[in-house]
Amino acid sequence: MGTAVSIELADDRPGPELRALIDDVCRWLHEVDARFSTYKEDSEVSRMRRGELTLADCSDDLRHVLNACADLWRDTDGYFDAYAGGPLDPSGYVKGWSVEVASARLAAAGSVNHYINAGGDIRMRGHHPDGGPWRVGIRHPWEADKVSWVLALTDGAIATSGTYERGHHVINPRTGQPARGLRSVTVVGPDLTLADAYATAALAMGEAGLTWLAKLATDGYDSAVVTDDGRAFSSANLPAAV
Amino acid sequence: MRRSTAAAVGTLTGAALIVGVRLSVQPPAPPAAAQSPVDLVDNPSTPKPSGSAAAKKPAGKKTTAPAQNKSGLKDGTFKGKGSTNPYGTVQVTVKISDGKITAVDATYPLTGNSATINPVAIPKLKQETLQAQSAKVAAVSGATYTSQSYQESLQAALDSAKA
Repeated sequence: MGTAVSIELADDRPGPELRALIDDVCRWLHEVDARFSTYKEDSEVSRMRRGELTLADCSDDLRHVLNACADLWRDTDGYFDAYAGGPLDPSGYVKGWSVEVASARLAAAGSVNHYINAGGDIRMRGHHPDGGPWRVGIRHPWEADKVSWVLALTDGAIATSGTYERGHHVINPRTGQPARGLRSVTVVGPDLTLADAYATAALAMGEAGLTWLAKLATDGYDSAVVTDDGRAFSSANLPAAV
Repeated sequence: MRRSTAAAVGTLTGAALIVGVRLSVQPPAPPAAAQSPVDLVDNPSTPKPSGSAAAKKPAGKKTTAPAQNKSGLKDGTFKGKGSTNPYGTVQVTVKISDGKITAVDATYPLTGNSATINPVAIPKLKQETLQAQSAKVAAVSGATYTSQSYQESLQAALDSAKA
């Protein structure tokens, strides 16, 4: 994935136990990278691209990923598209999903207080070591060392998609042209895979994404958006820290 | 005459938008100012001055213009062009007496599934001021795609501070 992952465990447990939990998460993330990377010739995704692997004989995980991408394509009016760039590229789903799974594995192993941040997409549970909720900043879209919102969460996910780092790289699948209009889209909700996909889809939609994001609020997904011309928007129930 | 009409439209636009916010109505699309729900120019049938004598005469001549005053607002009841959001069409009506806005009303969709939606519950994203702050946070969410960009990120600074 070429992404740095930060993991913080805030459970009051012996050091070696915590290290073993982190090792397990790292093992899983490396496994995902080996199996789903489009940059690795022998990954399942690369083999499927070349036609060496069919839906019938691929792994359960890959089948899950492909089905989820299809569901999201439908739920986002086609704006989340694993084929937007041509051949299959489920990376936009796999990143959030792998972290969602990693956090669930930690929880199953008894870690109730942690966060995992994979390239700005965060899944958290429980509390900060100081006993309060996790405070998460949303990067200011023009000032890299500042944040534009601070959110407080105990259990949930935050994903941000933006054009400020790699330029207008997100393709609007309807036009085939780079998406324009929104500079930064953050979606907050219970599940990181959905939050991440929704943020990417809204970025692809451009300004129309604002209206689309507003409808997600009833499903428990709040959002914070900055447009190319610097206007900021947030949904009513965004869990902003006081 | 023309100039004062333009001024009235401008004021009504502003008023309607403010009301839209109060009633939690989603403006059509966020550079909403350009597509205000009240559009008297495109809707020649809408100005219905309440003074019946004035109303019967053709508009556009100074002598027949309805009561005009300092604010530049014509008295009467003005219905805006419907503004369509995902839940249906919302129409704003503004009533002006003595050049002042005395009442504003908005009608909500009453047909189909939309009728069951409470207008106050229509979700929206509210516009706010973009602020740059240096706050105490545990993590940062942002568009960081590569290991290189991670090195330069606020998250990396936080991580190294903890290590």
